Amino acid sequence: MLLQLKNIFKWVNSGGQRIFLLKDINLSMAEGEFISIMGPSGSGKSTLLNVIGMLDTFDEGEYHFLNESVHALKEKHRSNLYKEYIGFVFQSYHLLDDLTVYENLEMPLLYKKLKGPVRKAMVGDMLDRFGIVGKKDLFPAQLSGGQQQLVGVARALIAKPKLILADEPTGNLNSQQGEEIMKLFKKLNEEDGVTIIQVTHSEKNAAYGSRIISLLDGRKIAD
Amino acid sequence: MIKNYFKIAWRNLLKNKGYSIINVGGLALGMAVTLIIGLWIYDELTYNNYYGNKDKIAQVFQSQTFNGQTGTGPAIPLPLEPALRDGYADYFKHIMMSSWTQDSYIKYKESNISRPGNYMQPIAPEFLNLEILKGEKEGLREINSIMLSESTANALFGDEDPIGKVVKISNQYDLMVTSVYKDIPFNNAFHDTDYIIPWDNYVARWEWIRESLDNWGNNSFQLFVQIADNTTFENVTNAIIDVKKNADEEVEEFNPRIFLLPMEDWHLRSNFENGKQVGGRIKYVWLFAIIGFFVLILACINFMNLSTARSEKRAKEVGIRKSIGSQKGQLVYQFLSESFLVVLFAFVVAVLIVLLSLNGFNELARKEISFPWQNANFWLISLGFVLFTALLAGSYPALYLSSFRPVEVLKGTFQTGKYSGLPRKILVVLQFTVSVAFIIGTFIVMQQINHAKNRPVGYEKEGLIQIPTFAEEFSGKTDLMRNEFIKSGAVIEMATSSSPTTRIWSNRSGFTWEGKPEGFQEDLAWTEVSSEYAKTLNLKIVEGRDFSREFASDSLGVLINETAKRYLGMENPVGKFLKDSDEEDPNPPLKIIGVVEDMIAQSPYEPVKQGVYVYDREDNFSYYNLRLNPNKSASQNIAIIERVFKQHFPDIPFQYEFVDEEYGEKFAAEERIGSLSGIFTALAILISCLGLFGLTSFVAEQRTKEIGVRKVLGATVFNVWNMLSKDFLKLVIISCFIAVPIAYYVMNGWLQEYPYRVILKWWIFALAMLGAMGITLLTVSFQAIRAAKQNPVKSLRTE
Repeated sequence: MLLQLKNIFKWVNSGGQRIFLLKDINLSMAEGEFISIMGPSGSGKSTLLNVIGMLDTFDEGEYHFLNESVHALKEKHRSNLYKEYIGFVFQSYHLLDDLTVYENLEMPLLYKKLKGPVRKAMVGDMLDRFGIVGKKDLFPAQLSGGQQQLVGVARALIAKPKLILADEPTGNLNSQQGEEIMKLFKKLNEEDGVTIIQVTHSEKNAAYGSRIISLLDGRKIAD
Repeated sequence: MIKNYFKIAWRNLLKNKGYSIINVGGLALGMAVTLIIGLWIYDELTYNNYYGNKDKIAQVFQSQTFNGQTGTGPAIPLPLEPALRDGYADYFKHIMMSSWTQDSYIKYKESNISRPGNYMQPIAPEFLNLEILKGEKEGLREINSIMLSESTANALFGDEDPIGKVVKISNQYDLMVTSVYKDIPFNNAFHDTDYIIPWDNYVARWEWIRESLDNWGNNSFQLFVQIADNTTFENVTNAIIDVKKNADEEVEEFNPRIFLLPMEDWHLRSNFENGKQVGGRIKYVWLFAIIGFFVLILACINFMNLSTARSEKRAKEVGIRKSIGSQKGQLVYQFLSESFLVVLFAFVVAVLIVLLSLNGFNELARKEISFPWQNANFWLISLGFVLFTALLAGSYPALYLSSFRPVEVLKGTFQTGKYSGLPRKILVVLQFTVSVAFIIGTFIVMQQINHAKNRPVGYEKEGLIQIPTFAEEFSGKTDLMRNEFIKSGAVIEMATSSSPTTRIWSNRSGFTWEGKPEGFQEDLAWTEVSSEYAKTLNLKIVEGRDFSREFASDSLGVLINETAKRYLGMENPVGKFLKDSDEEDPNPPLKIIGVVEDMIAQSPYEPVKQGVYVYDREDNFSYYNLRLNPNKSASQNIAIIERVFKQHFPDIPFQYEFVDEEYGEKFAAEERIGSLSGIFTALAILISCLGLFGLTSFVAEQRTKEIGVRKVLGATVFNVWNMLSKDFLKLVIISCFIAVPIAYYVMNGWLQEYPYRVILKWWIFALAMLGAMGITLLTVSFQAIRAAKQNPVKSLRTE
């Protein structure tokens, strides 16, 4: 078991009313799965993803990740945990504008405090694997959307995480670019055994996954 | 990692050039001011450091009480020296008598120069830690010897070896050069002692000194001591405090107290008020330390404000970094190293600014400060200073930026809250409070200087020159020279005086007069003059008459000033006498023949002292005072006067001073403070405005969409300008109301030191406030109007 959510609740108080963002979410996930989370806008997809990714907190419930109780951990431990095991891919890529492709890829390794030669080898390897060696000295603004997202995926993968969280990774891409990214995910999942959770609006993209979870108003309505 | 931080920081600087220039430039200016002030303070605090045994050296001071007023000064009587030597030998390592530092002519062959120097006892070379370059260390053993400073020896002898050569002093007596010492560095006592002549020579030369050898009442000398290693200044002072009082019953009524003023205090804490030590220049050290600190704070505030204002641009970066594994601490560290880089960069620029402006500053502040390249401590302190500034300026942005929550900033729902601008506003208020307070302070200093400058001096100081006459040759030639000068056409009147017009060198007591209250201890400013003194100065006679050559009895006549008339309590002083109170061997009584208007001879900030002008019977004069011919130019007149002077005194260098310039010197200290604080104020305002300018541009950028919408809905340029300016103007108005009471309190305190002072008027404060608001509007308007003029179609499309 990679992770397990038990009775997760998350809410905000607004004008004396409690609005639930997540309501009684239960979810277990094994290593090697490829899950797609679907649902209309505001149904809590991204919130759930962020909770799983430990970027966001929840108000009630339990969250176990690799036998650690995330809800009981201090921020430092939590950050160590996701630094080690989780990689993010964002809809709008979120590359650091001031850094080159190479430097963007190197960033997570720096936060993991890896040594220079090790970093160099790992970045070189990743550039090679994604076929972007020629782009390594360019800045994000000099790349197309598809290329940027490629870098985004590469960055998420470089620290060898167990889990990739992708929040509408193809939302800003045209259909051809989107398809390439989805194929890449599929390949990573099948060949390298990377566990993936993606949030998506598109049935077609959701079909790449092995399991689909549907949310509505913060509740899980289908699995 | 750190390399990565710097890389990002550097790219950030390059990408936002305008912002970087404002940030680095403002910070550099602030640091430059702080650096210069730091160097100045260091210079002040290390005054006298040349003397290795600084902590054991002291000057003997004396307090005496006249009519309940205690005066304190370094002048002591001659018998004090043997009294200390004989009675308290254990307390002292060295005891050294010295004359006052006085200018003398030194002549060798054709070169004749005038230099300041002292008569001192033979211990001087050791006492003053002199570095002997040529000749013997103990150069004062022979009574007819002289030691010269290196610069003086060079001026006199050029390439010749000065040792053993004979020079003529004051065109009177010959002395042999025994040694040459290295000039004492500028920021030390005795730095202007260019020659030293044995004390015994001084005593032998002047009868009045020999007469003073057992006179406890003639306080005309200086005494320096180095205390024994095993004692303290307090111990010595406690032992010797009553030595004069116990020695002579005649002086007992003045309660003379003898004490030591440590060398440490000579420069910074040498003011006394009613017998108590009350500081001195140290207050300027504090003043400038405060100014420097505030200017640095202003610059740091800019940095903080601009960094946090830009936060939205950095928010995304923070979110990304957190999502790929950065901890808050690492982000704090990143932003701090970024601020360190900026500060370091600013420091380099600041050092450049300091290097470029140091000469001008030295001139303004009358200093000889050089940049301490080789001082390791300086660099250590500078590094500390850079780190401190980086922390001060960078900590708030670092903590603020690093606390962003990644989910919010990445989702784009990040909103700077309603109060997120509050700290920024408080900082702007702080900045302008300081600026407005500086403006008011500078205004008042300038006003006070002008106030004192416009005070009537009581005589006509323009077109008046004085020529020093410190040599024996001038005796007996006064009438001759007066005739010669007048005949030459350059001068319309001439008189001599025993002290320069702008000083009082002598004070006397020991008189009786009709109606003198019992036990009254008088103290009169004493100037000996020739007959035409009042005429030469255009000093108005308000009662009685001037000296006249027609009355031989005028040689025992005296003019008193108006203050003296009140002081002596005389309704009708003319015709009354000032008698010598010495009953055994009295000087002849002096008859008051007239009353002259008060003239300012001492501080223009203080009331005129009661004074008498006595006919100079014994050629005790030290100056010729010449009223120039107004129909010729000053340079023509001077040329003629020099020619006449050289005809009669070919061996004496011709020196002269314009009295109005000498008088102007009285304002030098205040003017220096005034112009320095003026410059610092201008810089403080500039720095604050730079910050405001940067801030406005960010606000305008932030509100681009709002401005666009408003314009589409029909807002005019004026409406938009008004909207943007109002916010800042409000802050500045708040600052004004905080600054005014503070400035009033501080400046009122400063003014209390001056008995003759300007009255603080409300409009000074109003003017400063208006000025600050005007500057704010100008700064803000530039950006506001630019934002307001933008085409709304364009600004709305940025969404």
